[in-house]
Amino acid sequence: MLKVEHLTKVYPNGTVALKDLSFEVPDGEFLVIIGLSGSGKSTLLRCINRLIDPTEGKITMDGIDITAAKGAELRHIRRQIGMIFQHFNLVKRSSVMTNVLSGRLGYLNSWSSTLGYFPHEEKERALAAMTRVGIADKVHSRADALSGGQQQRVGIARTLMQEPKLILADEPVASLDPVLAHSIMQYIEKLNEEDNVSVICSLHYLDLIQRYAERVIGLKDGVKVFEGLPSEINRAKFKEIYGEEAQDMRATALV
Amino acid sequence: METLKSLLHSLKRVLIIIAVIALLVLSIRVTKPDLVKLVSSFPKAKSIMGQLLRPEILGRESEKITVAQLVPVPCGSVANPEVPASGPRITVDPPCGNPKDKVQVRGYELPKNAELSIRWILPDGGLLSIKNAVTNANGELTETMELRPITAAVDGKPAQLAFEITLPEGKVVASQTLKDVLDAMFVTIFMALIATTIGTIFAVPLSFLAASNITRKGWLGSAVYYIVRAFLNIIRSYEPLVLATIFAMIVGFGSPFAGVIALSITTAASLGKMFSESVEGIDSGPIEAVTATGANKLQVVVYAVVPQIIPDFLSFTIYHWDINVRISTIIGFVGGGGIGYFLSQRINTLQYSQSGTALLAIILVVWALDFLSSEIRKQLV
Repeated sequence: MLKVEHLTKVYPNGTVALKDLSFEVPDGEFLVIIGLSGSGKSTLLRCINRLIDPTEGKITMDGIDITAAKGAELRHIRRQIGMIFQHFNLVKRSSVMTNVLSGRLGYLNSWSSTLGYFPHEEKERALAAMTRVGIADKVHSRADALSGGQQQRVGIARTLMQEPKLILADEPVASLDPVLAHSIMQYIEKLNEEDNVSVICSLHYLDLIQRYAERVIGLKDGVKVFEGLPSEINRAKFKEIYGEEAQDMRATALV
Repeated sequence: METLKSLLHSLKRVLIIIAVIALLVLSIRVTKPDLVKLVSSFPKAKSIMGQLLRPEILGRESEKITVAQLVPVPCGSVANPEVPASGPRITVDPPCGNPKDKVQVRGYELPKNAELSIRWILPDGGLLSIKNAVTNANGELTETMELRPITAAVDGKPAQLAFEITLPEGKVVASQTLKDVLDAMFVTIFMALIATTIGTIFAVPLSFLAASNITRKGWLGSAVYYIVRAFLNIIRSYEPLVLATIFAMIVGFGSPFAGVIALSITTAASLGKMFSESVEGIDSGPIEAVTATGANKLQVVVYAVVPQIIPDFLSFTIYHWDINVRISTIIGFVGGGGIGYFLSQRINTLQYSQSGTALLAIILVVWALDFLSSEIRKQLV
């Protein structure tokens, strides 16, 4: 259970990214965050794994205070929280294998991993993760030799290495075409259902929201303006969140 | 109004053209080109270029034989030696004498038209060179010499008069010049290598300090950033040749060490700047992603930062080694040692065919390294 209480983030330049935000995510839930670019979605996700330090408020996971954690304790929390990025954030020049293995660094001895040594069972684990997302044949390819959809699957395999309790997905399909978008979303959904991993995912497309979300939170200028079921988001609600000029955006008309 | 505007416009254009022509005329006057001299010096140029284009690479191995004859000084100190009846031999007439006596020295059946050096082999084994001579077409030689006190016999052991004869038609081998050039070239290449290494060792930390995305955080970071950057820019504005001149005065003219110091400093500054731009250009995404997996700072650097900068760093370093070899070939002219020093000495003593050897070596090495470094860099990208 992830609990966010009165979360506020003010950047040094005075921008208020999040304002007094509170919500809960029960174990195994697929929560989707929607909102315009700049509405605070990325900031929220990064506050949860402390890539960004919140200004005020408290985030707890299974009773452990994430906001107060430091050093080794923080790294210990981070390794239970996987993250998937819009731009995949792979190390382009490294092999797919190295990229996937890097997801395990939080569990490994700092010195031997620094020298590039990974135990045999970790390599097995990496291969299993790659097989699960269907890229086992790309083990030795350089990450930048892969297509966008394949790169995102490497990103998911890297996250799998963490054996996470929670996955944060920051617009995971915004850089992909509509068909790939569904394929990637299905991998994430599978993790959510088969491994009982909670997912917090930011999305833009209404059809993806209605297809994958269990619950939706809408943000506008860092303030929660909607919380409810995907079926409750009608055209009017969507316009309320995205503004008057919003069109009914769909990833694909086919699905 | 419109016509006035276009008139001003064309006037401006004419003024610019006049100014450019004036500058060109001025620069021609200042540099004093003398085409007549270029043509009139043609015979001189032909001689110099002829020698430069005929670099000394191969030489004949000089085989040497020595013919010697005992000379008792004074007479009776040792029994008068016998002279063989045939074969290469030396006769002394009279066969013995006192110091200051003149004797006639004749050589028979020696190699024809051969250069030889006449010398005394003293009783203690020391050598005393007298003069160089050439045998005639019959392989004979006649010289008049004066006996000296130093040639007196010691403890019944007389001095010997010896001809050391250099035989023509020896084996063809690498010339001494080629060996010297190769030695100097090795000095140059290793001078560049060590300077590049030292420069890189200093450049890496400096580059991180001069990278805005790493250092420019808070007032202290900003201060460090601007100071390091200014420092790099100032150092970069010094030519390695100027620095080498200064250090040659300090550590000694012709010392490769002077060149190494000068090149190390300019390499550190120049690579520091290049590396810092590479560090500034890294993608923060992977850093974010690896940090999010729970990796510690060291692991983040090794898995997210290093893979991004390593190819650039290696490529720049090899490129700079290439540049440093080029610079160190001429750094010798200002006292930095290596092939440049060799070349400047040969040019100053008008040994043009030996200079030609050095020039050829420079061209070959620069070409080879240029090829090698671009091939290696191609592999790295």
